[in-house]
Amino acid sequence: MPIDDTIYAYAVGRTRALETRLLERSRFDRMIDAASAEEALKVLAETDYANAVAELADIHDFESILEAELKETFDLITKISPRPELILIMALRYDVHNLKVLFKAKYMGVKSDLLIPVGSLSLDLLEYAVTEDYYRDLPLKLRSAAEKINEDFLVNRDPQVIDLLLDQVLYDQLIALSRESGLKFLEGMFIRQIDLTNLKSLIRVKRMGLNRELLKNILLPHGSIPGDRLTGMLDEPLESLITMLAMSDYAELVGEGVRDWLEKGTASRLEKLSDDYITAYLKKFKWTPFGLEPLVGYLWAKEIEIKNIRLILVGKINKLSAEAIRERIRNVYI
Amino acid sequence: MTGTEIALIGAALAVALAGIGSAIGVGIVGQSAAGLVTEDPDKFGQTLLLQALPGTQGIYGLLAGFIIMQNIGIIGDELLELTVPQGYGFLMAALPIAIVGLVSGIYQGRVSAAAVGLVAKRPEELGKGIVYAVMVETYAVLALLATIMLLFGIPL
Repeated sequence: MPIDDTIYAYAVGRTRALETRLLERSRFDRMIDAASAEEALKVLAETDYANAVAELADIHDFESILEAELKETFDLITKISPRPELILIMALRYDVHNLKVLFKAKYMGVKSDLLIPVGSLSLDLLEYAVTEDYYRDLPLKLRSAAEKINEDFLVNRDPQVIDLLLDQVLYDQLIALSRESGLKFLEGMFIRQIDLTNLKSLIRVKRMGLNRELLKNILLPHGSIPGDRLTGMLDEPLESLITMLAMSDYAELVGEGVRDWLEKGTASRLEKLSDDYITAYLKKFKWTPFGLEPLVGYLWAKEIEIKNIRLILVGKINKLSAEAIRERIRNVYI
Repeated sequence: MTGTEIALIGAALAVALAGIGSAIGVGIVGQSAAGLVTEDPDKFGQTLLLQALPGTQGIYGLLAGFIIMQNIGIIGDELLELTVPQGYGFLMAALPIAIVGLVSGIYQGRVSAAAVGLVAKRPEELGKGIVYAVMVETYAVLALLATIMLLFGIPL
């Protein structure tokens, strides 16, 4: 074991303290059982979110709290990590998210209030790049994707190409960067995310009765399930998908998710189970005494926490039943 | 090299290597504890206890070095003229605590730092964290025992 891994001693020690402040399942349950969105917010005000909640003028602006919390978390973990460039791998997703939002705003005239101030590239830089068609300041891979989107959109006018190209670049980069840094656990997480995304794409394309070419285009590379096996599944009934996955970790998750999808017509159960699957995966590395693992685990845990708060508040504002909210709540990391 | 000089190398190694082990070990725990205390200052006392644990190897090394110095008369009235075999005797006797002190100090530091994480979650389980770290201590104590037995067995 390399002695060198103790450079993480401080960061992991601090993360352990931070982990104790993550919201527990019982807190989410209390928020769900609250009588109204305002009451749910009061439960949130008993936690570390107290200050942010106190400053909130209108409950409909709760997104600003979550955004600030996410940014603070990334800033803190980047600051305490002995190798901040590795934390940027986790932030890459947000660069790509922001690019997607900006491109859609540009081509479809949607207002861009969905930007997330997390990521390695500043929002100003991204905004300037997209509005002025000036992509030279973007990292190489993102730059070529952005240029391709620009060309393609002028010809085909198909907004799907934005998501498609950027997602492919994102996962390509995530896999490349984690391999480069020799971080097996990180690569493992991304491969699992790719597999889950691909399975969702397959089911979605199948339900819409679309063709093989389209699926081939949207499948992400680097997954553990080969692309031709997935496209081959298009002609078979969904049940045989579960049989095909029987030997993999995904069987149970996909089985339950697909059943729910067919019954209710939404993928929300599958989305929840996919997130839980990644949480369970990261939990295995949680107690690594020195290393990046607990830091990445904490970032993921915080993302899940924020997702849960959002689900509850949106559900409460829209007067969804407690049951409907509860079944979408993600498992917690602690 | 005279026997006395060789014996002095032994004393120096015992103090230096075991001391390095402790310094690294205590350093690792200190960093980990500082991280925890940044967020939770109340844990200072508990983490200080954990930080002190890998410090013993350095003390054992000093003790062994001290015994050598006393035996050869550096501390005391007159410096003994040792034969070369006697000198090697002292050097060999110093090695167990020197080597085991170096390695066990580092590993005890790693265990203690992990125990800092344990204290972050469950402060009431500090005792168990200490027990894990003390398991590593066993081997430093055994090495010290071997060193002392060897030192007292050298015919002067």
